[in-house]
Amino acid sequence: MSEGCRILLLDDEPLILMDLEFAAEDKDCLPLTATNVKEALAHIEAGDGVSCAVLDVTLRDGETCVPVARELERRSIPYILHSGDLNRQEGTLASLDAQLIAKPACSRRVVDTALSLAGTEQASAS
Amino acid sequence: MADYPEVPSQASTSDPQARPRRDMKEVGQEDRFSDSSGVLFEQAMAQTRMAVCLSDPHQPDQPIVFANRAFRRLTGYEEEEILGRNCRFLQGAKTDRDAVARVREAIENEDVLVIELLNYRKDGTPFWNALHLGPIYDSKGKLIYFFGSQWDVSDVRAARAEERHAREMARELSHRMKNMFAVISGIVNVVGRVRGIEDATGEINSRIHALGRAYETTLDEASVGVIELGPAVKAILEPYAVGERLKFLGNGVQVPFSAMSLIGLVLHELAGNATRFGAWAEEGDGQVKLDWQRHGGQVVLTWIESGGPKPEGPPEETGPGAVIMDRMVAAARGTIDREWTSDGLHAVLTVPIEGEQA
Repeated sequence: MSEGCRILLLDDEPLILMDLEFAAEDKDCLPLTATNVKEALAHIEAGDGVSCAVLDVTLRDGETCVPVARELERRSIPYILHSGDLNRQEGTLASLDAQLIAKPACSRRVVDTALSLAGTEQASAS
Repeated sequence: MADYPEVPSQASTSDPQARPRRDMKEVGQEDRFSDSSGVLFEQAMAQTRMAVCLSDPHQPDQPIVFANRAFRRLTGYEEEEILGRNCRFLQGAKTDRDAVARVREAIENEDVLVIELLNYRKDGTPFWNALHLGPIYDSKGKLIYFFGSQWDVSDVRAARAEERHAREMARELSHRMKNMFAVISGIVNVVGRVRGIEDATGEINSRIHALGRAYETTLDEASVGVIELGPAVKAILEPYAVGERLKFLGNGVQVPFSAMSLIGLVLHELAGNATRFGAWAEEGDGQVKLDWQRHGGQVVLTWIESGGPKPEGPPEETGPGAVIMDRMVAAARGTIDREWTSDGLHAVLTVPIEGEQA
């Protein structure tokens, strides 16, 4: 079901990113990794786009995932939030209508959750 | 903190929204006090610890025409240095221009305003002034004075700032700590993959996650060194996603920070077992009730399973998870009792809490 799915993974911490990347590969999908907003937007805008996404909320240099989330929403691409910064980002989190998985969490569970959203989107589209 | 009043309590008797005309006109120029209450009023004005001044809106640049002793003490100026000057002489380099503009606007509109602004004493030292100002009308409704009361809220502001800073630090720490748990977990996963021992590392990671979540709800309370057990317990068990099959009975118990790792890991073991063989096993619709209470120097957590597959008494071999759990509990000088009733596992964990707290 998730085979060939293009999943965008955004996290500024390389080890977490790699862990998610492995978990996505285990699901036979294609992970597209990004460590900042610019890279993430580039993946979304590239020819083949993305089918779903996992977004870390607080990024390096004061960035948050909000611009990426807004772009995904504009394209009706499902995403989930993956954050350890629940208290400080209350406002940001509330402004985004997405499921949240609190860090630390099992990378397989994070990826599965994102893929399940892509699954339903595709199902409802067909 | 919300406990600090924004303004001294005296000011709260005048709602900034309310039109003051009816309430205040008695305090007018040709006041209607009898002679004796007029004297009382003057004494009260003179002696109150609340700094008060009146300005005359009908003279050019609205000079101050009355300033009581508290006003002089607060600002450090003598009466003759005050009378005849516009209130703005209290402002200085760092006074917020927007706040001043709001004061001016309130005066122009004859509004009541309560606002905090930075003022300066005669010796140049700044203080935060909770200024309460409003118009005073005579009995015919004609504007005769502007009333200003000043209260030094520098201490309150400092306490608020300090608390905000402490909260920011706790949140930053919380974020970093959760991120660190996630990084550790990532390292474990990657090593597991490289060595081909993913089952083992998966098990390690499930414990790391349980621990990370145990602290998740706690760090904002770190300044007081205790943890609200309820939210922590809910965070630990959240990933099992059993919904209605878990009932929380406990309420409002705090435990010291140091007790949390044990509670987190024990709950993780119990939940894992319930999912594999107990009340949360796939095929049933069993339930777990979890209670937590404080009994003297101990916290007692009670885990009651029901409606799962019928247990056939204690498992014949004690699994490695249970062995570790028992040893951990022993190391914390606690106890864990497990009883397999006909309804399911009934486990009671007690954890001693050093340092009696209310």
